[in-house]
Amino acid sequence: MSDELFNREEFISYFRDEAEELLQQIDGDLLKLEESVSAGLDPEIINSLFRALHTVKGSSGMLGFTDVQSLAHKLENLADLLRKERMPLSESSVDILFTGRDLLTGLVQAAIGEEVAPTGVDEYIRKLDQFTSIYEETSHVIEGRTGPELHFEEAAAHEEQASPSDVAAFEAEVERLLAQAQGKKPDEPSAAAPPAFAPVEPAPAPPEPFIQDLPAQPVGAVTPPIQPVTKPAPAGAPKQPNGDQKRSSIHQTIRVDIERLDALLNLVGELVINRTRISDIANTLERLMSDKVNAAGGSSQAIIAPLAKDLADSAALLARTTNEIQESIMKVRMVPIGQVFDRFPRLVRDVAKARGKEVQLVISGAETDLDKTIVDEVGEPLMHLLRNNVDHGIEPPDERERMGKPRAGTITLNAYHEGNQIIIEVADDGAGINIEKVRARGIKQGLISADDRLSDREIVDLIFTPGFSTAEVVSDVSGRGVGMDVVKRNITRLKGVFDVESITGQGTRFTIKLPLTLAIIQALLVRVVDELYAIPLDSVIESQRVEMVDLRTVHGNEVITLRGQVVPLVRISEFFELGGERDPDKVMIVIVGLQGRQVGLVVDSFEGEQEIVIKPLSDVVGRIPGISGATILGNGSISLIIDVHSLVNEARVSGKIARVEFSGV
Amino acid sequence: MADVKEDKKQQLSGEVVQVVSFKLGSEEYGVDISQVQEIIRMVEITHVPRAPRFMEGVINLRGQLIPIIDLRTRFGMPRIDATKSTRIIVTEIGNKRVGIVVDSVSEVLNIPIENVEDAPEMIAGVGTEYIQGVGKMNERLIIMLDLTMVISGEEKQQLEQIGEQTAAV
Repeated sequence: MSDELFNREEFISYFRDEAEELLQQIDGDLLKLEESVSAGLDPEIINSLFRALHTVKGSSGMLGFTDVQSLAHKLENLADLLRKERMPLSESSVDILFTGRDLLTGLVQAAIGEEVAPTGVDEYIRKLDQFTSIYEETSHVIEGRTGPELHFEEAAAHEEQASPSDVAAFEAEVERLLAQAQGKKPDEPSAAAPPAFAPVEPAPAPPEPFIQDLPAQPVGAVTPPIQPVTKPAPAGAPKQPNGDQKRSSIHQTIRVDIERLDALLNLVGELVINRTRISDIANTLERLMSDKVNAAGGSSQAIIAPLAKDLADSAALLARTTNEIQESIMKVRMVPIGQVFDRFPRLVRDVAKARGKEVQLVISGAETDLDKTIVDEVGEPLMHLLRNNVDHGIEPPDERERMGKPRAGTITLNAYHEGNQIIIEVADDGAGINIEKVRARGIKQGLISADDRLSDREIVDLIFTPGFSTAEVVSDVSGRGVGMDVVKRNITRLKGVFDVESITGQGTRFTIKLPLTLAIIQALLVRVVDELYAIPLDSVIESQRVEMVDLRTVHGNEVITLRGQVVPLVRISEFFELGGERDPDKVMIVIVGLQGRQVGLVVDSFEGEQEIVIKPLSDVVGRIPGISGATILGNGSISLIIDVHSLVNEARVSGKIARVEFSGV
Repeated sequence: MADVKEDKKQQLSGEVVQVVSFKLGSEEYGVDISQVQEIIRMVEITHVPRAPRFMEGVINLRGQLIPIIDLRTRFGMPRIDATKSTRIIVTEIGNKRVGIVVDSVSEVLNIPIENVEDAPEMIAGVGTEYIQGVGKMNERLIIMLDLTMVISGEEKQQLEQIGEQTAAV
């Protein structure tokens, strides 16, 4: 292929994004297809599936990924048989497609060098051929029946033999992908593209005659153009598979709704206008200064007053514009959480099948926007939770029936905004957490002792202990004791809160509260010696002034007693070796919560709460224990943000904090 | 390593060398203009506890945080309070933006290449690894510094690793 003309790597990265999106779509289509096995084939779904497979085939062929291309081709054939109703839709055909889709995903990842190639592809293709051969023989007769399909077949033929038209097709595809990557709607393919590519364009409806061929449908349903069923939201960014470490080396991109960019551009326009206005004022002032003689004659008040007003107006406008720019740019980073949710129906289906359970997943709030970084990180914890719900929560169908519940369990996955947070709930109507079982297990694992008197809530919290599992048998799904603690840790790392409620016999509800963005947080500003430090408000419990006489020491380290609890203190100035002197009378203490424990940070004074924009410091000065970043305050000065977690850990390691044993969990 | 000095001199290519001259105590120094991104007035430096020792702190340069190196401290000269003429020369070391504090910045000089001599072994306590040569302009002696060398190889590594650490996370 003509590598000199194109940056192949860049093209591969577009291919990766596109393929990922399409594979996700294929997954969604297959799930719907599976649902419609009993209800009868919905042509919209099969068409969407067919188009997605076809596009994967096309783009992989152009990049020379023949493995991907040939498998996609086979799957496309199968989908085509279903589409033309040469083959009846059945569970087995959908299963074959599911397996094929997974192998295809593996091959795509292998092709772009992210994974090793999956095994069993050849065997699968052989099986697939066997499966389809019965139906294919009869289908040849009618092959040329409709126009559009003929094009598709021709396209397939074109791609299989390398020909000069490949190059042209490649060029056209590059153009289209580039246009897409720039946020434009894909244009009509250029003249160079073979006609075969016209029907592959993602959004438009299939050609008219085809619709007329469809089996009878309510008239209303035919008129709207057929849309790919699980089309991702317009602002969708390329999806990031979770825990894929290799991914971080590839440039991260984000797809932005063009309207959001336009809004930003407008605001920048305002800024430019304002700049002109301010330089006008500056010029006028300069002129006045040089024309001292003239100016002295007139009333200076009369000349300066309008200027001052202009300047004040400009300043106000500037403030408004910058605020809006800040908001807009935050919005650009926001992507719908549906990007993560999309892959869950498949996951739940697979786990449920493997465990012999019937589960229905109800998703709502997929359009809820969330910062891109958080969206990327939240997938894995959610996956753990859903697996857990299916495996531990939902009872086997027969048992459910005995208990008077519907055979199929329901898991609801819901996301919504609340204030500055996004709430994600994962709830099931299963058995709930078996308190006695958890308790027994906790005793067995030595986490609690038999005579500990714990509330149900405290017992439930045991599931967050590393290594804890109630599953009697370790399955490939869950029960290896890696799970809840990891979920909790991941959520905490995202500055979120993770909570669980459970009613025995009625179900379990996990609630995750996450900040909308990691870049802006509420913080308490404190002064230590002569610097201002910011302490994230989400870890602050209270701030207090304590008289020195109330301080005690444990092994030389200071503690206070707060409502009966012993709280160890860390003096920030001494921890950071900032010098400064101890106040002999009193200490100002910020009580922070840390994994259920409280620690008091001693500062010099409290300087109020403020919303701050986090700037990473680690790429400027390296990682520093106790500091998570910096922020720039209104007056342009820098304030360091205290990382409560690492500060307390570090203090603990270096023996700068009293070791206080806590009772309870 | 014998050719190091030769190399250094060759780096000062062209008929004249354009240098930004600045003062530190009573000495006058010059730095190749291509190493200078900008020169800003002194701003408040925020001390970062536990930062690498060669860093004085960080400043806010139009919303970007950049580390600061105090050349007086580097050269073992007594610290002085910032004055009206104190400046920060913004340069790039490795691929990192770094600010360097100097007493004052004077002017841009065109020094003919033939007026630049090899550095003597020792100048006012400054190790020769920073020094590209000494330029003569009329009666003035300009010590030509390579700003990218003002921190040691080890420190430079430390500075470069900072970026890698972050990338790996």
